[in-house]
This record gives sequence, C-alpha cells and structure tokens, in this order.
Amino acid sequence: MTNELPLLRGEASCGLLVSDDSRLECAPCEVSPARMPSRAPQAGEQYRFHFDMNRCIGCKCCVVACNEQNGNPAEINWRRVGEIEGGWYPEAWRLHLSMSCNHCLEPSCMHGCPVEAYQKDAHTGLVLHDPQICIGCQYCTWNCSYGVPQFNAERGVVGKCDMCHGRLAEGREPACVAACPEAAIQVEIVNQAQWRREFRENANAPGLPSADDSLSTTRLTLPRQMPSEMRAAHLDRLRPEAPHWPLVFMTVLTQLSVVAFALIWVAQMLRAPEPLAAAAALGLGMLALAASTAHLGRPIYAYRALKMWRRSWLSREVLLFSVFCGLAASYAMLLWTRQGVSGIAGLLTSVAGLAGILASAKIYLVPARPAWNTGMTVLDFYLSGAVLGPFLPALLGHSLAHFCLPVIAGGAVLQLMNQGAKLLRLLASKEFELQASGRMLAARFTPALAVRCLLLVAGGLLIPLLCHNRLALAAGLLLAFAGEVLGRWLFFVTVVPKNMAACFLGVEQEAA
Amino acid sequence: MKINRWLGLDILEQQYAYGQDPERGHTSQSRIPHHWVTTTCGYCSVGCGMHIGVRDGQAVAVRGNPDHPVNRGLLCPKGLSEHHTLSAPNRAQYPLLREGTQWKRISWDEALRTMTTKFRQVQSRYGNDAVGVLSTGQLVTEEFYALGKLAQLGIGTRNYDGNTTLCMASAVSGYKRSFGSDGPPGAYEDLEIADVILLFGANLADNHPILCSHLERNFGATLIVADPRVTKTAMLADLHLPLRPRSDLALINALIHVLIARDLIDCAYIEAHTEGFEELRESVRDCTPEAMSATTGLSAELIVKTALLYGQARAPFLGWTMGVNHSTQGTETVNALNNLALITGKIGRPGAAPFSITGQCNAMGTREAGFTSSLPGYRKFESAADRAELAALLGVAEERIPQARGKAYPDIVEAALAGSIRALWVIATNPVVSFPNLAVLQQSLERLDFLVVQDGFHPTPTSELADLVLPAAIWGEKEGTYTNSERRVSKVNAAVHPPGEARSDFQIFLDLARAWGCADELFAGWRQPQDAFQEWQRVSAGRLCDYSGMSYELIEQHGGIQWPYPADSREAPRATRRLYAHGHFATPSGRAKLWPTAWQPFPEQPSTQFPFVLNTGRTVEHWHTRTKTGRVSILERMAPRAWLEMNPRDASTLGLSPHNLVDVISLRSRVERVELRVTETIAPGQVFMPFHFAEANVNRVTQSAYDPISREPNYKQCAVRVEKSPPRKAGLD
Repeated sequence: MTNELPLLRGEASCGLLVSDDSRLECAPCEVSPARMPSRAPQAGEQYRFHFDMNRCIGCKCCVVACNEQNGNPAEINWRRVGEIEGGWYPEAWRLHLSMSCNHCLEPSCMHGCPVEAYQKDAHTGLVLHDPQICIGCQYCTWNCSYGVPQFNAERGVVGKCDMCHGRLAEGREPACVAACPEAAIQVEIVNQAQWRREFRENANAPGLPSADDSLSTTRLTLPRQMPSEMRAAHLDRLRPEAPHWPLVFMTVLTQLSVVAFALIWVAQMLRAPEPLAAAAALGLGMLALAASTAHLGRPIYAYRALKMWRRSWLSREVLLFSVFCGLAASYAMLLWTRQGVSGIAGLLTSVAGLAGILASAKIYLVPARPAWNTGMTVLDFYLSGAVLGPFLPALLGHSLAHFCLPVIAGGAVLQLMNQGAKLLRLLASKEFELQASGRMLAARFTPALAVRCLLLVAGGLLIPLLCHNRLALAAGLLLAFAGEVLGRWLFFVTVVPKNMAACFLGVEQEAA
Repeated sequence: MKINRWLGLDILEQQYAYGQDPERGHTSQSRIPHHWVTTTCGYCSVGCGMHIGVRDGQAVAVRGNPDHPVNRGLLCPKGLSEHHTLSAPNRAQYPLLREGTQWKRISWDEALRTMTTKFRQVQSRYGNDAVGVLSTGQLVTEEFYALGKLAQLGIGTRNYDGNTTLCMASAVSGYKRSFGSDGPPGAYEDLEIADVILLFGANLADNHPILCSHLERNFGATLIVADPRVTKTAMLADLHLPLRPRSDLALINALIHVLIARDLIDCAYIEAHTEGFEELRESVRDCTPEAMSATTGLSAELIVKTALLYGQARAPFLGWTMGVNHSTQGTETVNALNNLALITGKIGRPGAAPFSITGQCNAMGTREAGFTSSLPGYRKFESAADRAELAALLGVAEERIPQARGKAYPDIVEAALAGSIRALWVIATNPVVSFPNLAVLQQSLERLDFLVVQDGFHPTPTSELADLVLPAAIWGEKEGTYTNSERRVSKVNAAVHPPGEARSDFQIFLDLARAWGCADELFAGWRQPQDAFQEWQRVSAGRLCDYSGMSYELIEQHGGIQWPYPADSREAPRATRRLYAHGHFATPSGRAKLWPTAWQPFPEQPSTQFPFVLNTGRTVEHWHTRTKTGRVSILERMAPRAWLEMNPRDASTLGLSPHNLVDVISLRSRVERVELRVTETIAPGQVFMPFHFAEANVNRVTQSAYDPISREPNYKQCAVRVEKSPPRKAGLD
C-alpha cells in the first residue's frame, strides 16, 4: 500500500518537480490561455478547437451550455464528454475528452452527403450543415468516425456543431468555450497546409478514432506522463445499432430484382421471354425504391439525393437504381407487349442494376464503420441477389428452372462462405470495433445468425437441389428471402461504429 | 401538421430557430427572454451569481453573472440548466391532506388549521418538545430567521434542527471549539493567492466545479489532495496523498509532529494568540511520520514532504469538505486542521485559512440566523449574557430563550422512534434518501402521530409518507439572501410565480404564525422578506456575522458582501474580508484553543463477512437527493443511475465484470441491482457509491454512527460485501 514516491500530476496547475531535498519546485507555469483568437482567419487558414486534457475536470458544463445554446433536446449532444482510464491505483488516471465537431480538412460527412447540405466555409473553414437542404438520409452519421452529426428524429434532419459560428461572427466564444470553468476548450486559427503535415502528432488521442479518417483539425494537448495504456470507459457496453428496416428491405429487394432481370435477359437471349417474371421483378424493384424513402427524415425531398452523383455513392446509388427502374419498366413493358424486343434493353437494365448494387455496397465501405468496410460487403450484396433473384424466373417462367436452380445453390454456398469468412475476420481482428462486432455475432446474436444460416441452407440450397415443384420453390423463395432479410438486419445491428470515448454509464442499464 | 412533418415539409423551424439576444448574442430563439432577473444559484454553497431569463412568465434561460466576484459569469452544469427545475413535472402545487391511502386537496386555511390543531394536540399531551422540526440549508436567511423564531418562540419546541447537521455540523463544532465561534475565516480569493493548497476529503471538481476556476487562476500554487479515491480533484493535484479511509486525523497529527520537530511553527503567534500548545505538543509526541505511516498507508517520506510543503509555504490554504465532516471524529479532525493553521500562524492572512467548503446554498444562513446550532448571531445557548441580549433585541422575556440546544437531527429521529417526539415538520429536505441507515428513519417516521412535509416537490420519497404536504416556492420564485462558504451574502430574487397554490416558505411561516396566534408578537408588521432582513440586521449587529452595514440594494450592487459588514464599516463593500486577521478570537480569553486529538479507527471495520469499506459521495451532474436534478433531462441522461466503483483486483476475485448488477450488503440491509464500475481509481478493499439515487439508495446500508460532539453521521465508511444480483424473476416486479 505504501507508495514510495509522491505522485506527480497536475501539469495543469504547474510543472512540478521533486528535488532531492524533499522540496517541490515549480517550473515556470502556463498562464490562463486566451479562449479566442483576436483576428479572423486569413486565406489558407481556418478556425479550429484546441482541447487541453490537463485542464478538463469532466464537469460537462460544455455539454449543457451547448444544448442550451442550440435548443437541442437532452438526447442530442453536439458536444460530448467521454472518459479514458489507465494505470493502477493509486497511480490511476481517469481523463476526460470533451469533443464536438472537428471541422475536418477532409470532412467525410460532407463528401458522402448526397444533397450538398454540408459546406466547408471558405472564410472560416468551418464545416456547416444546412437543415433546409438536408433530407435526413443520415449517411453523414455513418461517415463521421467521431459520431459528430446526429439525427434529430423529431425534425427529420441531421444537426451538428457549427462552432457557434453565429457567435464567432459577433466576436463571442462558442458556448462550450465560454462555459468552461477551466478554459480547457479554446478556439484557435490554424494554417491548413501546415496542419496537413502536422495533424498526426496533434489530433490523435487515446479514446479517439484515427485523425487520418477525415483530417480532424481539433488540436489536443495530452498529459505528458499519461500511462501508455489508456482505455475508453464505455468499451464494455455494446449496444446494437439501429436496424434501419427500410434499408434492410430496400437493399435485399433491389438485389433480388436486379439479378432477376439479368436472368430474364439471359432467358430472352435464349429465346425464352419471361414477361411475368419481369413484371414481378419490376414490382419488387419499385417497392424497394419506395421502401428506401421511408428511411429518409424528409421523404418528400428524396429526389434531391440525385444531386451529388459526382461525389457521393449514395447519389450514385439513387441515380443508378432510378435508371434501372426506368429501364426495367420499359423492358418489362416491351416483354409484355412482345413488340420488337431487342437484347439491348435487357442488357442496359441489367448493367444499370448491377452497377446500382455496386454503388449500394460502396455506401457501406466507410472507414468509420470497420465491420462494413470490406469487399465482403460487396460480395454479400451480389450474393443476396444471386440467391433470391433466380427464384422469380424459376417460379414464374417456363424454361429456366434448370439454369436458375444451380445459380441459387451456388449463390447460397458462396454466401455461407462469405458470412463465415466475415465472422472469422471480425473475431481474429485486434481492432476494437471489428472484434466487438464479432463478439456480438458470436454471443448475443448467435441465435439470429444460426437461424439466418439455416434459412439460407433450407431455402437456397436444399429446396432448389431437392424439390422442383412450384410450391416448394415458392417456399424456398420465402425461406431464402427471410434468411437474407435476417442477414441484412444483422449486418446493420452488429456494426460497431468508430466513435469518441463515452462515459461509463449508458443511458439504459446494461442487461448484465 | 403531422402529415407535413412526416413528409419532411416541416422541420420544426420555429422551434429550432436562432435569434439575437441583446445580452448574449446569437442563440436559440427558445432561450431568448424578455427580461433578466439577477439572483444567486440555489444549489451549492459556492454561491454563483446568475441571471434568470423570463419570457411570458416562464424561466427560459439562465446565464452566469459576469460581474459576480464568485463565478465571473461561469456556472456548473447544474446551474447552467437550473431554469428547468422550475417547470419540473413533480412540483408541489396544492396543500394535500392524507385520507387513508388517498391525497385530498385542501385549502391553505384548512391546511394550516389542521397543522396547528394536530401540533397543539401533541404538545398538550406530550409537552412542547414533542413537536420536532427538521429544516434545511435551502431556504433564504430571512426564512431561516423567521422559522427559528416561529419554532423556538412560537411553537415553543427546542427540538429543531436542520439537514445541515448531516453535512457541515462538524465544521461548525470544530470552529466553535477552536475559535470560539462558527464562521469560516478565509475567502475564495485565498485559492488564488495561496502558494500551497492542501485539500482534505474535498473533491472540488465534482462538487464545487466553479471553485476550480479559482484554482485555475492560481498558476504557481502547489495543489495537494488527501483522498482515498483518485478523484477528479486528486487527478488535478500536484501531489495526491492516497491515504486509507478516515486516516486523515492521523495524517494531520503527523504533520503537526513534523512541523514541531522541524521547528516550522510560529512560536510568537502561538504565544500571543493561542492556548493549549503544551497539551497539543504532548498529544502528537508519538505521531511520528513512521508511526502514522502504518495508519495512513502513506510513506513517512511523503508525510514529511507534505509537512514541509505546508510549513515552508508563505500562505497555505487548508480546505476540506465531507471527507472530514462525515465522520465520528469529524469535529476533532476539524480541530486538528485548525491546530495546523494556528501553530504555524497561517490564518487570517491573504491565502492562509483553514476553510470549510460548505454544501448547500444557504447552510451558512441557517448557521448564522437559524436558532439551531446557535442562537441567532452565533450567540451561545449556554451564555446568560447572550440570552439576555437576544431577548432584549426580540422584545421577549429572557426565560423564553432556550438555555440549551435541543436535540440534533439524528436525535430527533431517535426520539421519534422512542415516542418522545410525536409530530414532525420536515422542510425542504428528503431524509428518506439522505439519512443514514434508512430502516431506522422509516420506523421512526411510521411512529409519528403527524408528519408535515413542506417542499417544492411532491411526490418525493419523504413527502409520500406525509400526513400533510405544504407546497412551497423554490429558488427562482422567492426573495431573500443566501450566504456562501466565504461568508458572502448574496441576493436571491423571484423571477417567476410558484406553480399552482404554492407559497414562499416565508409566507407559509407567517401564515402558520397567524394560525398559531403568535404572529402579532413575533412578526409584527412583517410582510416581506426585507422586514425579516432588517430585524436580522439589528440582531446580528456587533456579532461576528454582522450584517448591519448591508442593505438589499448594496448587496445587489456589489455582487454580494462578505460579513462582517457593520454599519460603521469604513471598508469598501466589495473588499475581501477575513476573520481573525489580528489574531483576536471569539473565545472569552480572545485566544484560539489548541485541542489535543487522537486518531481512532472508524467504527465499523471490514470483516470476513463484510470485507469492503464503503465510501459514499457525489457526482457533478446531481444535487443531493435528485428531487431537482432528477427532472432535468440533460443532467439525468448524463448520470442516469447509481453505480458502484470497485478495484479490478477485487472484481476479479469475486468473478464480477463491468456493468454487472450487484447487491451491496451491510449488517443493516442491502442495496439491490447497482451497476458495477470496475476501476483503478479506487483502492482494493474499498468500494464507492453515489448517494443521490432513491432508486438505489446507499443509505439503506450506511450506519447509525454519529460524531459525539457535532452529531454528524459517519457516512463515509461502513463495512459491506458485494454480490452479483440474482436475476430478476419475471412477474414479480
């Protein structure tokens, strides 16, 4: 119990040294820092936050001040305080991180946004979000490694810290900066080019995702003698993410529809037009697009999502699936009326659809959600199509069953292997988010995962290989569809996003 | 327009609009008031100046008062969201009388008539002292002064005490014994001037965050924190002394030993201004750093280093809070801290003070004016001269002034259990959450013939047991003054009307006095708090806590005035004042008394059956029993429930993991289903739990053990064991 040497902390109050004669000597001390720069940023510069972990006492004044400033409900916090811990008693450390938007040099929220609701302000460098333009697709909430943009369900749009730019323009500090009893948060001006060279040393901290993801501009001052292992306090509680039901159905149904059309086109090339299957595939494709708008906070403005196709995979997805649906409708009508059907329409429909699936998968390949950020996600999406799509021509068509059923079975085998490989990758990883996703799949959601695989085996493998009557095939489709829907649900709920450290207690009690 | 919202045409733009506040600039439109009312925060004793923003009769915003010397515009998270407490859904609105298991809404007339009748019945059968009054530190001084007169002289019971006994009674007793009077000698300015700041059992970062802003401005000071936990404050310190629970007295005596041995004492000061030094020297003869090392768990080297830092400091500040007070040796520990300051002459000078950092917003006010631990103006019950002086000032017969203090809070509870107190009036406090060893309190309340609970909130765990509930106005709805830890008297103002039929406590006291028939004698001509303030100024004149030079206008003008501020003061109202600057103390001899003290182990030591020492305390998001902060959604979300801290080594021995639900069991009872936090910030063998949560009330397991002098409970240490909670059986909830 007896500690031999005094514990030296408190670089906040002064740089304290112990000399041999049992006296403590103070090194020259830092004076209270300026909370605001005295000028506006010039060309090539921007505002940024500086957070001094030595000064922070974890009082959370900044959090409350931010909510009051912005009139946000309690469940939305544009500034948050997290805890990191390390060391051993009595040389234990619990430090606090107070973070809001990092006004990144490469804002991933902005790059993913399909409607250009984000701007990096030319004069201040602040990443600003316009709720008027936002359609509530929430893609930015997946893209930001820090969990900065937060969806306000009451409004149907996202919101985030704008560094109180309205106050900055008046020469006032942001609310969080003004409220801090310890001056631990300050606004500074940074040269952007210089920061690109230096950010790795100054923007990273235990409990924070890598600043590489988006080139965070927040400068952090850490204690000089912190233990090497500092762990975020919230890591032992894992909560499933939102299931996004509209997206579960939208992705599975578009994949089904696209692969169905590809096979219908193949059948047509083999001189066996399948108008009924085409109509069904079209119907499901339309249903998928309709379902996707239910995901939006502002469905009426879904069309805006086309805007940023040059930059956003979400825009590209919407564009490609819209084109796909348009082409599919014409193609299906042509098949139905049997008027001069050429192979081109079917080919274009299939290409647009297959490209749409790629765009759809690319949406999920974001560094902020490591479990998704892999080629296996692309494979997963195509294989869901391969398992489900062929059922339509096989069920509703005349000539293709012998060709479709092996495709289904092959797809099912590959999908099983893909799921297995994903789980192994997660469990073998040292990265917290991947490992945590793996633990969720291998513990809490094992029953769901098992059912998902059984449904795939029954509907995608056994029935297509063993029974060929339509009733059995219909059952097979339902089982396989349920399997892929469950699989997609697991895909959404078991992803563990990167985020900044949070506090130990979650809002809801853990079921421990 | 639900359909517009669903389609996304409506994004609640009005509700989320920004606007231009003339005072604060760009901010949420929802927080822009029509006018601001200047007041003082109603949570803790730091005493921050603030403004409440009012629009359409509702408090919509608060902001720190930038001109207030205490906080210079800053507020803690509770203060920053304080306006939300006014519109909490659990505000008490109407007088309620229990009828069987139902509440019946009654008129104020009927409520006060019923209360008078019931209290009189009890007094006629069992004597005047069979009525008990449990008050608070939450009212304004004018109300405390009125209540003191009403209880002691009107209702005529001596058994009147406040919840301040649960919180800083040991500081009061310690100050009285050392200096002859209550009253913390220093000022917050000392935190900025001191070159060494030594904190005992004080976690300012969680409990008084705005005081940390004063520390922050003191660039050169060495901060030393003695605390068994690695608290947020310990982590700020230059030197953390991770001493064993309740070994502070051993540490202080070792420091005194070293200071005497190394001749770091001020002999001239001792000679001129103290008495009892030889006895003190004798008492610490064996308290060598080596001997005390075993008791405190600190190395002898560390003890010596601390002593040298303190002894060689130009102006060391000595601060403490509940780690010292919540103890069966609290008073003696305060005396030992005072000894430390006295023998080194480090008192009464800028930076140097033995300073008790108080808890509630106006605990100091009830100490000064309240008629509980002292007669008003720190007069002594046992002094015939003081009684005569007070009687003359009040215009009552001398024999009506009590000659001894009545029962202290825990003794009132025990008297109710024993049946000698039959009716109880509980004002603005929630003992069902805050009193130790809950089972005793519950039995005691059950035995009462009549329980009146006067509170701003209903239901609270205590008001649920009441026979009569009197709805009271709270902070933001009434006028008066608060005194903070540094003796600064600040003005409190009403910004909005209380809800329903709730009345200010001041009004309730006057109304009850009228029903009781003592209003004309005790409160003649009183209409508003200022009438009480003016009488209190006369009563305090010439005393240590002299208000006679103050006025409401002057207080508001200067952001509070520190007492003593006599009518003939030539000091600027804003000047910093310290007590005992000239070494003249409030004792009969004018000398401070050095008390020999001896460390004893805390009463309930861990055993094989109960192997852990349980420590209790606070978290920054909540205030006391959460009647207020539990309804402020942002605070509640940040600290939604209780937790138990345990060292990883112990957790691994018990096979427990983070977030497991555990039961905490003592000899008395158990707290069920507490979320386990496994952390190295607590020592092996110790566990910590916050005391704010009625839902997981740590005071089910704490002990009925009290300081023999101050009667303050020993909340900080008791022996418990920890078990994994059994799974909750379905259907039994």
